[in-house]
Amino acid sequence: MFQYLIRRILVFIPMLFLLTVIIFGLAKAAPGDPFTGKILDPSIDPEVYEQRKEELGLNDPVPVQYLHWVSTVAKGDLGESITYNGRSVTDLIGERLMNTVYLGTFALAITLIVAIPIGLYSAKYPYSMLDYSATAFGFIGLAVPNFFFGLIAIFVFAISFGWFPAQGTVSSVDATGFGLVMDRLHHMILPGLTLGLAGTATYMRYMRSEVLDVLGSDYIKTAKAKGMSETSILYKHTLRNAIIPIITLLGFEFGALLSGAVITEQVFNYPGLGTLFITSITNRDYPVVMAINLLLGVTILFGNLLADMLYSAVDPRIRYE
Amino acid sequence: MRKNSSNKTALKMKFVALILMLAACGNGEDRGPTSTAGAQGEPNEGGIVVGAMETAPTGMFNPIFYEEGYDEAILRITHEGLVGQNEDLEFIPKLAKSWDMNEDQTSITFQLEEGVKWHDGEEFTAEDVVFTYQTMSDPDYVKSGGFRTEYVQDLKGYDAYNTGETDDFEGVVEDDKYTVTFNFEEPNVTPLYTAGFQIIPKHVFDDIPIADIPKSDASLKGGSIIGTGPFKLTKIVDRQQYVFERNDDYWQGKPHLDKIVYKIVDEAIMTGLLENGDIDFVADPNGVSPADYKTVKKIKDMQIIEQPEFGNQFLGFKMNHRSSSDIESRTINPDNWTVNEKIADPKVRQAIAYAVNREGIVNGLLYGKGKKTNSTIAQQFWAYSEDGVADYEYDVEKATQLLDEAGFIDKDGDGFRENPDGEKWVLNLDFPTGNKIRERSAPLIKQQLEEAGIQINMRQPKEMTAYIDGLENRDSDWDLYLLGWALSSHDPDPASLWSATAPYNYSRWNNPEADALLEKAMKAPAAFEQENRAEVYKEWQALFSEDLPALFLYVKDNLWVMSDRVEGIDPLPFTIMNNTHEWWVTR
Amino acid sequence: MQNSMNEQPSMGAARSKAKPKSPFQLSLRRFMKNKLAVIGVICLILIILATVFAPLLTKFDPERGDLLMVDSAPGNGHLLGTDSSGRDNWARLLYGGRISLIVGFSAMLFTLVIGVVTGAVSGYYGGKVDSVIMRAADLVLALPFLVLALTIIALLDNVTIGVFVTIIAITTWPTLTRLIRGAFLSLREEEFITGAKALGASDLRIICKHFLPNAVGPIIVNATLMMATMIIIESGMSFIGMGIPQPTPTWGNMLSEAQNLRVLRDQPEIWLPPGLGILLTVLSINFIGDGLRDAFDPKSNRR
Repeated sequence: MFQYLIRRILVFIPMLFLLTVIIFGLAKAAPGDPFTGKILDPSIDPEVYEQRKEELGLNDPVPVQYLHWVSTVAKGDLGESITYNGRSVTDLIGERLMNTVYLGTFALAITLIVAIPIGLYSAKYPYSMLDYSATAFGFIGLAVPNFFFGLIAIFVFAISFGWFPAQGTVSSVDATGFGLVMDRLHHMILPGLTLGLAGTATYMRYMRSEVLDVLGSDYIKTAKAKGMSETSILYKHTLRNAIIPIITLLGFEFGALLSGAVITEQVFNYPGLGTLFITSITNRDYPVVMAINLLLGVTILFGNLLADMLYSAVDPRIRYE
Repeated sequence: MRKNSSNKTALKMKFVALILMLAACGNGEDRGPTSTAGAQGEPNEGGIVVGAMETAPTGMFNPIFYEEGYDEAILRITHEGLVGQNEDLEFIPKLAKSWDMNEDQTSITFQLEEGVKWHDGEEFTAEDVVFTYQTMSDPDYVKSGGFRTEYVQDLKGYDAYNTGETDDFEGVVEDDKYTVTFNFEEPNVTPLYTAGFQIIPKHVFDDIPIADIPKSDASLKGGSIIGTGPFKLTKIVDRQQYVFERNDDYWQGKPHLDKIVYKIVDEAIMTGLLENGDIDFVADPNGVSPADYKTVKKIKDMQIIEQPEFGNQFLGFKMNHRSSSDIESRTINPDNWTVNEKIADPKVRQAIAYAVNREGIVNGLLYGKGKKTNSTIAQQFWAYSEDGVADYEYDVEKATQLLDEAGFIDKDGDGFRENPDGEKWVLNLDFPTGNKIRERSAPLIKQQLEEAGIQINMRQPKEMTAYIDGLENRDSDWDLYLLGWALSSHDPDPASLWSATAPYNYSRWNNPEADALLEKAMKAPAAFEQENRAEVYKEWQALFSEDLPALFLYVKDNLWVMSDRVEGIDPLPFTIMNNTHEWWVTR
Repeated sequence: MQNSMNEQPSMGAARSKAKPKSPFQLSLRRFMKNKLAVIGVICLILIILATVFAPLLTKFDPERGDLLMVDSAPGNGHLLGTDSSGRDNWARLLYGGRISLIVGFSAMLFTLVIGVVTGAVSGYYGGKVDSVIMRAADLVLALPFLVLALTIIALLDNVTIGVFVTIIAITTWPTLTRLIRGAFLSLREEEFITGAKALGASDLRIICKHFLPNAVGPIIVNATLMMATMIIIESGMSFIGMGIPQPTPTWGNMLSEAQNLRVLRDQPEIWLPPGLGILLTVLSINFIGDGLRDAFDPKSNRR
């Protein structure tokens, strides 16, 4: 197990390296540099920008720049942002990352809390009212673009009813402790629902069909024949078996969740990694773009690994080769 | 017993109120005054005013390092310069109470206000002024990300100091604690503009190496940012909220309000929050969009202040293209340019000008909230002139006639004109994304030009970063381009945009006569008199409109929104964030 | 709904009567029994017809603005009013649907081609080719789709429909590759394959004759569902301003005009039609996809 882990992690390194080369190449190949987007203030002397570019090494050959980047990163330094004048990328990303992690976790929690019980119930009582509504929701949830759902949610729940804040992560600048947590949760509800919408629909449908599948399988029939109660079968055998594909899905869905976060954060003006990525890529803030990519790459690769491990924890039949 | 039950009721009420407050999330926050003045029209003390900005500032709250308009809007409240501007754009005393210029305008001496306190209680003195300008002249300033060299490069001995040849800074000199003198290398036509930069505190930054200033708490962190303004920026929730608290020791008198709060609110829901009363004003840098005008107008208790912006949008003509070796070596030398034959004939450019329905664009895309313009100089300025300036009133027939005269005639009957040699004549039109109205105007301009028989190849819009790169360095096949400039409210001199060697002269307009005029306008000593400059700019504007390196499309109206519970506002032509210490709330 | 979700009963029925029919006919028959799937087909056909015959249904040019008619309410010949550039909303809805469908379909097709080819090669040959392809897939999957797509879009001067479709395809293929590789791997050891190999059939022939037909069910099902996703992706990217640029009409472009409360509240004619367009199309496609899944693999509930 430990060996397997080491081997998997070792494979990451060349992959990550390749990934950064590709992203660096792509980012550099894009026309413009961190200063071309800024020049709408004619009072600034363009010569100054030129000096800055020279200073930052942006006029060096791309491979040189890449090596420079890699060597700084190897020292554990993600460098400094260009757009956010000289601020350390670690600082800049830190807070945004946490915001996105909170939002993602919250969305995932909503997804699982809603999807698993409803999926179970639907499978246990097919053709019930709830099953029909869940199925309908499942279809519609997948057919509505999430930004649009977000806009409607803002319109209805934030503006018309005023139940939830429409933007940001906190209202009060002074809140601490419990108050702060509540404030943040309050702000996370609409974006969380928006981000979790598609996932909830997907998981619900998966859960339902998995459970149906397992319920129909031979060993459950045996268990039933042995006189086990339906509920205990459901929880002891079915749930466990049905959860395996969901874990796999979670591993893969991680990327999808982050993609969704890019858009959702934009709708709710939520200061997370997604919004930072968009500003950085449009401003050609290379250090930030690279840092985000690196971070996401590492996270997703580890996420997949984690999914694999969970997979085997839930289903002992699966072994590492 | 009775008391008890009423207590219970009160408790219940409180509970209900609490729930309501939670649900409304901040709607219930009391922003009214804490004490009301006795007399009618007398300012109340206390209260909070909440403003909205649609994009977050980058967070650089140091005048010498900020870059964007959003950061500038924040600094307007916290920092001040020696001079300010009034509603006629004249320079007026601010931190300096008076000044004297010498005969040839090579030096200017300021008498500073006495007893001005920084937000941390230290006294503001001439040392701070010297420090600010000295820091901006430092060899490390640009390396550390500073861009505002325009304020220092005319100072005496700047080059020597900036290259590190000398440590002796002669540009700004402290005469005594409250007197400071600016010395210029050459007679300065705009000394007050140069001396008007916001001042930073020496005692805060003195110990910090310049390279670390932009990273220091004193530039970034709420509570550590020190200015002399009426409010101090005390709390920052990055990209969401910026809280300003009253500066009790403000030198122009204690501000009436307790707090001003800026919230970052997406443009999409701005009107909703205005309706809910969650925000009181929308101001710099963009206000509300013209499309939202009617919606906002309908909200009672809100007033809209309309002011033409300092800036304009234009349709540029790529009159020349730089040579590729010039692009490579980043030089701008008109001698190496090649003429863009497609639009070289002034008649062609004029025809295009006649064919574009600028009024239609203003009425349609801007919902009438703007004005067509014929000059790059802002209309608010003394230098703006319509005398002798050609106004290309929308007239397709005139356009057709001019094109016919120039020999551009449709010979093959495909509906589009060929050039005088009978070859296909297609003009490329490029435009950037980012400004919705400008994006919408591009296809309409194409449509209008095609009505005059001009074939337009409208290319895909690019985001600004890529667009400017193309405009600057990869423009060999560019003909028509859309762009807009934000203009300074300090001085109207257009030389940095339209003189032949100016990098921002993207049209690559090369007209020696025009360049001579621009130089003359800034030539001491004649230029010391504003009338003389105005006269020259008048000539230049007329020449510009004849030669037409660009067709100015429109000047948008800035639509500032302000709740009528806020009194004492004193708008300047370029902002409403002026004299905030005099603001007060009625309820 | 019950048909799409509960396949158990039909399975038994299909098995007992299935003597003289070909598998395809059988599938078709099962598909036709699925009411929702049939409704989906009808609905989708209607939408396709409307967009194909757009020129007959409107006289307006979807890209042509009218400055005198900006943001006008329905009426004056403009069935759904006009947008902020004075373009006819009804015309944009029809032509935009055409482009959204083309984008969805071609992105799906392109991804499918990449996915099937790489998956087949990977699963059939195994070894080095397999590991190269799988590492490449891992690499693409190591970044969220949108992040990669946005990075590539920033690079390009000219985002046409073709370019946009290509970008989506090269950022989404690995999921399909993995699926098809898996299907191939499980077939590889089957007797009829080893038999065909022993008879000296060429690789291409074996792949096309023996593997693909056996994997066609999951491929088609995935393709349909993918097309639905592509349509949603197009609208999402338009929303953040990285989709197919204006003035080209797409449903995503139309919907992103609703990025404002005023439009959301006062001008439903702007966002409701494209919103419904997306909803109905995606719903129909998903119904069809579910129907196909049941039809191809009656006992499947798995994927």
